[in-house]
Amino acid sequence: MDRNQCCVKLSIRPSRGLMDEKFVVLVQNILPGSQLTVHALHQCEDGHSWQAYAHYTADATGTVNVSKDCSLGGTYSGVEPMGLLWSLGPVPGSKPGLRMRKKNVQTPMEVTISVYQDHQAENFVDLVPLAGVVVERWYMAPGVRRIPITEENLTATLFLPPGPGPFPGLLDLWGGGGQLVEYRTALLASHGIASLALDYLTPKITLETGKMVDNQYFETAYRVLQQHPQVLGSRIAMLGLSFGTCVTLKMAVYSKVMKLRCTVCISGSHVQPVDGTLEQILTFFKDNGAKTRINEKNEVIWRELLLPIPTDPSLKVDVGQLQCPLLLVVGEDDQNWPAPESATDIKEMMERAGNNHLLTVLSYPDAGHLIEPPYTPHVRASSFKTLDTRQKIMALWGGHMVAHSRAQEDAWRKMLVFLRENLYGGSNHYATSFSHL
Amino acid sequence: MFRARVCVTTIRQLVQTEGIRCLRVHRKLSGLQRAVGAARWKSSAQQAPLLTAAPVRALADEQISVKGSFLPPRAPVTVCARMHSEDGDLWESFAHYNTNQSGSVNLTSDHSVGGSYSGCEPMGLFWGLQPASGGREGLRLRKRNMETPYTVHISLLQGHVSPSEEPITELAAVTTERWYMAPGVKRIEIRQNGLVGTLFLPPGPGPFPGMLDLWGISGGLVEYRSALFASRGYVSLSLAYIGHKDLPGLKNRINVGDSYFMSALHLLKDHRQVDADRIGIMGLSFGVYLSLRIATLTGANPSCLICINGPIGSTIKISDADGKIQDITGDEKYWTYGDEGYVSFQKLSLPANLPPESKVKIENITCPLMYIVGEDDLSASSKENADMIEDSLRSAGKSQLLTRLSYPGAGHLIEPPYSPNSRASLWSVKPKKLITLWGGHPAPHAAAQEDAWKKILNFMESNLRW
Repeated sequence: MDRNQCCVKLSIRPSRGLMDEKFVVLVQNILPGSQLTVHALHQCEDGHSWQAYAHYTADATGTVNVSKDCSLGGTYSGVEPMGLLWSLGPVPGSKPGLRMRKKNVQTPMEVTISVYQDHQAENFVDLVPLAGVVVERWYMAPGVRRIPITEENLTATLFLPPGPGPFPGLLDLWGGGGQLVEYRTALLASHGIASLALDYLTPKITLETGKMVDNQYFETAYRVLQQHPQVLGSRIAMLGLSFGTCVTLKMAVYSKVMKLRCTVCISGSHVQPVDGTLEQILTFFKDNGAKTRINEKNEVIWRELLLPIPTDPSLKVDVGQLQCPLLLVVGEDDQNWPAPESATDIKEMMERAGNNHLLTVLSYPDAGHLIEPPYTPHVRASSFKTLDTRQKIMALWGGHMVAHSRAQEDAWRKMLVFLRENLYGGSNHYATSFSHL
Repeated sequence: MFRARVCVTTIRQLVQTEGIRCLRVHRKLSGLQRAVGAARWKSSAQQAPLLTAAPVRALADEQISVKGSFLPPRAPVTVCARMHSEDGDLWESFAHYNTNQSGSVNLTSDHSVGGSYSGCEPMGLFWGLQPASGGREGLRLRKRNMETPYTVHISLLQGHVSPSEEPITELAAVTTERWYMAPGVKRIEIRQNGLVGTLFLPPGPGPFPGMLDLWGISGGLVEYRSALFASRGYVSLSLAYIGHKDLPGLKNRINVGDSYFMSALHLLKDHRQVDADRIGIMGLSFGVYLSLRIATLTGANPSCLICINGPIGSTIKISDADGKIQDITGDEKYWTYGDEGYVSFQKLSLPANLPPESKVKIENITCPLMYIVGEDDLSASSKENADMIEDSLRSAGKSQLLTRLSYPGAGHLIEPPYSPNSRASLWSVKPKKLITLWGGHPAPHAAAQEDAWKKILNFMESNLRW
């Protein structure tokens, strides 16, 4: 038995963290100055394996602290406390177009972190590590309750924080891929917000009747949340990503039922036929389908469908009428939606209307479309099934890994501050200045 | 307003039915006035405060940080913790704080001005847990199932209140989990070669240093310290030697001998994931005697010893190596009784009362030894035994092997940190109900547990990893 091997100590704190919580990876009792590789391995629910690794040199005390020391190479370099998670990529031999998204939010994501001697770059499965530990990453904090909602033809899931409440509420909308996506909602509830994940493109009612839902569906979801005994009806926010921003902006401005406390729109646009149903908005996009571009890798770029930003007011949500704070999150390398251009236009419209004090824009160079909760891997392109044709294509989302991962971390943190300030703080209705964000 | 009305009615009822003395009524009324003021604030702004804890899922020996925010500035709040033991008993704690000018409270840096603890105590809610009034008496909090966490519910309450005595208004809550096993740790039941124990394996290929973990004469199989050692990278074996259904003979006798303990050591040494040259032995209470005894057996050669509050000899004989069971001599003559049915075993381990032939030859110990004394130990004569060990080692020219830690105000049961101490607990129900004294006062005992654990882990690192 190698004397050295017994000594190596690998520890991760916390060993059970929330998905958006930082951890500290510490390797101790290594020969000072020796080279080692820290490796992360995760097997998804769908069976695919993802890995990341980084090369370090032990310092004079025989320690490597991933939060403080410099990676000399691997799937990330430099000082990156969470690089082992956000630089995860499909293992060699995996099929192309994979994207990591957890379906079952009630179990943790398990990652095996190992330490190998020397600077290794491949065939990790054939090597014996010096040490290995398992770290759990949870979407749900203890005490968070997951409640499927099927009343009034909704396909939704409510996540309630622990405690008596009443809690502020939030409607959480994803984009054109449809389905009931729960992970962001579960995390928000873990931060004290009663959140409702809503499937509005492929809900049971649409699958059964073949008909898309209308505005009433969203207002029903809002009412269900508002009337819940543990939700503060006067403090409900709406969060949308991608196509979800279309719905969010539309409801925030035009709905007579929804009195939103604040809204967050990620990677989306205000461009849509005003007063259109969901169906009509989708048709509008389809009608612009000719502007789809395919690059040399056969990846589909959809950002130009809504460009140029129209001047015709009937084709844009009149954000000048917005009465609640709006946080816009934009990736400047978004290849899927013209989020940066839309943000610029929204800002101009609000400046002209005099309500731009409500607007905060977070714009990230080299970040792509999928600005998600932090510390999950970035994918520049992945398989996507279009709703109408059910055809599988490779969608180009955009973004470069390091910048995109930093954007996710920064945007999430600021979004939580924005939501907390608006939903928990201040009894006045008007926006607190977010210039400090 | 509604809440205030409820408070008044309840207090009237309390006055009528429980005959509260004037002083308590007065205190409650002033609390009511504060509550009314707070209620008035609450109903107009309808702000809900936020209570957070990080990490919400921690190992039982890890600190967590609890914070309240979006509260009114410079206002009284109570933070309280509640949990149910595996037997269903309710344990609770609380502390009084005042929010700062931003309406926040942070248990890691702020001072409690009253309750289960006072002063700056980041983990006070956990070690300050007490059995709820009206429950069973003589309780001790010990987890049996290692694979599930303790769930501790932490609440933020309006004003400075005593949660167990008055109706409470919960403003916010957070649920925390306290785990004994880190992810990836494996728990393996050992019932082979006559051994009764539980082995905990850290994740990873190994090889790992090993630990043999021994507890006191109340017996059974106590796993939580081993589970924590494995969570820190040691293969750890909790070993039963008395009072377990899978052990031979009568439950109130030690029916195993030296060969049993050597067998346990061999299980560790022979394990493919253990470095046979890096094994330590840890004992609490009677486990100290066993640790010292095993350390001097031929072929044992542990790399280090950790002893907490235990004797160097024994009034109870253990079985011979050839398995013959010795009768337990009447060591009850050393039991001392106090008022209210309390019994203390302290005199059992007074060096003068230990049969000389039972005393371990400390001068034959060749490895580093850490001895931990609780200065308020009412169950064992720990200081006297520590003195004997110190004298023996000095005489043998081996003083450098001894690390002696001594904690004022700490009792007998110096266990992994952040768990509540029981100053006394139920010892037996038959033939008569006895409550035994362990000693220890809440705050100093908690400080001792925290400090001792850090030093124990460092001692293990130095002796078992380098």
